[in-house]
Amino acid sequence: MTPAAPVAASAGTTPAAGGLLAPADLTPGRRTWRAFSRNPLGMISLAIILVMAVVAIAAPLLAKFPSGYGRDILMPPSAAHPFGTDDLGRDVLAQVIWGTRISMIIAFAASFLAILIGVALGVLAAYAKRLDGIVSTLVDVSLALPVLPLMILVAALIGPSVTTLVVVIALFSWPEVTRIVRSQALSVTRLPYVDAARTIGGSHFWIMTRHILPAVAPIIVVSVVLTASRAVLSEAGLSFLGLGDPESWSWGKILYNAQRSGALTIAWWCTLFPSIAILLLVVSATLVSIAYNDARNPKTREN
Amino acid sequence: MHLTGYFLQRLLRGLVTFWFAVTVTFFLVRLLPGDPVSAVASPSMTEEIRQRQLEVYGLDRPLLAQYFAYLGQLVQGNLGISFLSSQPVSKILMERLPWTLLLTGTALVVTVLLGIPLGVLAATRARGWVDQIVQVSGVIGQSLFVPSIGIFLLYTLGLLAGWFPIGGAVKSDLTGFARIASIAHHLVLPCLTLVMAQLAGYVLTLRATLIEALGEEYCDLARAKGTPESKVIWKHALRNALLPTTTLIGLQIGFLVGGAVLTETIYAYPGVGRAIFEAVGQLDFPVLQGAFVLLAATVVIANLVTDMAYGLLDPRVRAG
Repeated sequence: MTPAAPVAASAGTTPAAGGLLAPADLTPGRRTWRAFSRNPLGMISLAIILVMAVVAIAAPLLAKFPSGYGRDILMPPSAAHPFGTDDLGRDVLAQVIWGTRISMIIAFAASFLAILIGVALGVLAAYAKRLDGIVSTLVDVSLALPVLPLMILVAALIGPSVTTLVVVIALFSWPEVTRIVRSQALSVTRLPYVDAARTIGGSHFWIMTRHILPAVAPIIVVSVVLTASRAVLSEAGLSFLGLGDPESWSWGKILYNAQRSGALTIAWWCTLFPSIAILLLVVSATLVSIAYNDARNPKTREN
Repeated sequence: MHLTGYFLQRLLRGLVTFWFAVTVTFFLVRLLPGDPVSAVASPSMTEEIRQRQLEVYGLDRPLLAQYFAYLGQLVQGNLGISFLSSQPVSKILMERLPWTLLLTGTALVVTVLLGIPLGVLAATRARGWVDQIVQVSGVIGQSLFVPSIGIFLLYTLGLLAGWFPIGGAVKSDLTGFARIASIAHHLVLPCLTLVMAQLAGYVLTLRATLIEALGEEYCDLARAKGTPESKVIWKHALRNALLPTTTLIGLQIGFLVGGAVLTETIYAYPGVGRAIFEAVGQLDFPVLQGAFVLLAATVVIANLVTDMAYGLLDPRVRAG
């Protein structure tokens, strides 16, 4: 994420319009939001994510759940079917809309779980020196392994369902979070105020949750977004290999159907639209996290 | 001296990683719901047949005994028997492995060969429009879904343009040079898919490290001595900027292997990844487990190689 940071920084060309207001009066959160809202790429990305979230929530109102067979098989995009139809005559637009719902649910649930585990272990490892060796080795070892084949094995063993996908993706996504949170928390635990908290007799739990956790919170925000965007790709990958929930639609499953039925070589619309949906969500999430990082960093805030 | 210590440490870490991979998969396979007992023996079997079936696969023994037996077999290169084809898993997968190695190896080399000039281009024109384009495409490139790239290339270059074959790895009944040409021809699209999937990461990393290196004092010194800028970039700064890129290769290999699974699925490329896809459809757990163990070993070895290269390239490691 960091190598790309200057994109958003240099794209946010708006001069310091609020120069008359003394920035010192603002809380850090408001200051970050002000800087963020001046970044066009960040705002557009945030808007795209919000629109997709609305589509996900309102899916039942927007389209009928695609099921059964239709008469118009493999029709290219038209007024009746803006995204065309698949090999069984089902509307691709409806599939993409319902897919948004499942893909986003899985991405957010998996990233939430991964963040819970990742942050807990990361803070614990940074604070408790005795655990650090074990956790760090575990993280290094897990990050070195090819994750997708491992996810495939576990998902196949448990049997495909939405819950399976959430658990499997979370199970293999937390090491990345732990790595980032731990390194950040390590620098915090060395600060004098943590010693002060210990000196006045604070419990370990209190120090970790009230003093270390808030200090790593910004990193957690970035991690949530990036883990979720990676979860979108993992979910799509597993569904594409046939490990998606058989009862529901996801973007990866639309591609899987196109691949299995051979529609892939006839009907570009069966694969193009879900691909665009995946790309839009992942790019937006990446740009939002870059813009947030820039907005939070006084050096790139351009004040 | 220090180099030997460094290598030994890396070797140990590789062994621990591989042991971890093997152990985790063994217990996952035995303890999760879709366990091998229900795969080889159904409740509808008579007790006698069921028992015999379990004995054949060694599933009637205690878990730890099974674990050590599995490790022992693994050391001898035995990965178990496929549930479906009743052939040894190692035999099935070893036939496939060369194709996966060819695909991922070529993709890695092409990525690095393209990534270095692109990274240099972006870094030396930092903040210019070339740099902007490289950065925006970098962010998009890192967000691409591998099957989306694969399907796009298959449709445009394979089907519409008709330049490249869209499935398989080689035309049968060819020998000699014609066979090699056919292999190369079939390799283009899957390889290009993987290159597009990982190029962005390399370019962005090299760009960032090269910009940093070009601002270092030794580059200023070289310039002050009258060294031409091109030589400062290619001889002085790039050498140092390539070190983090070497580390990135190690980090990206796991992702590359995952990408190969998806790519081989699209192009019906006869590698380990395609074997995984086929095994998923038939719930052939020994093949899935064996494939993961084999790919984990490949990744661990590849990581060792990049670690060694890093040790040889970086004088700081050599000197300790």
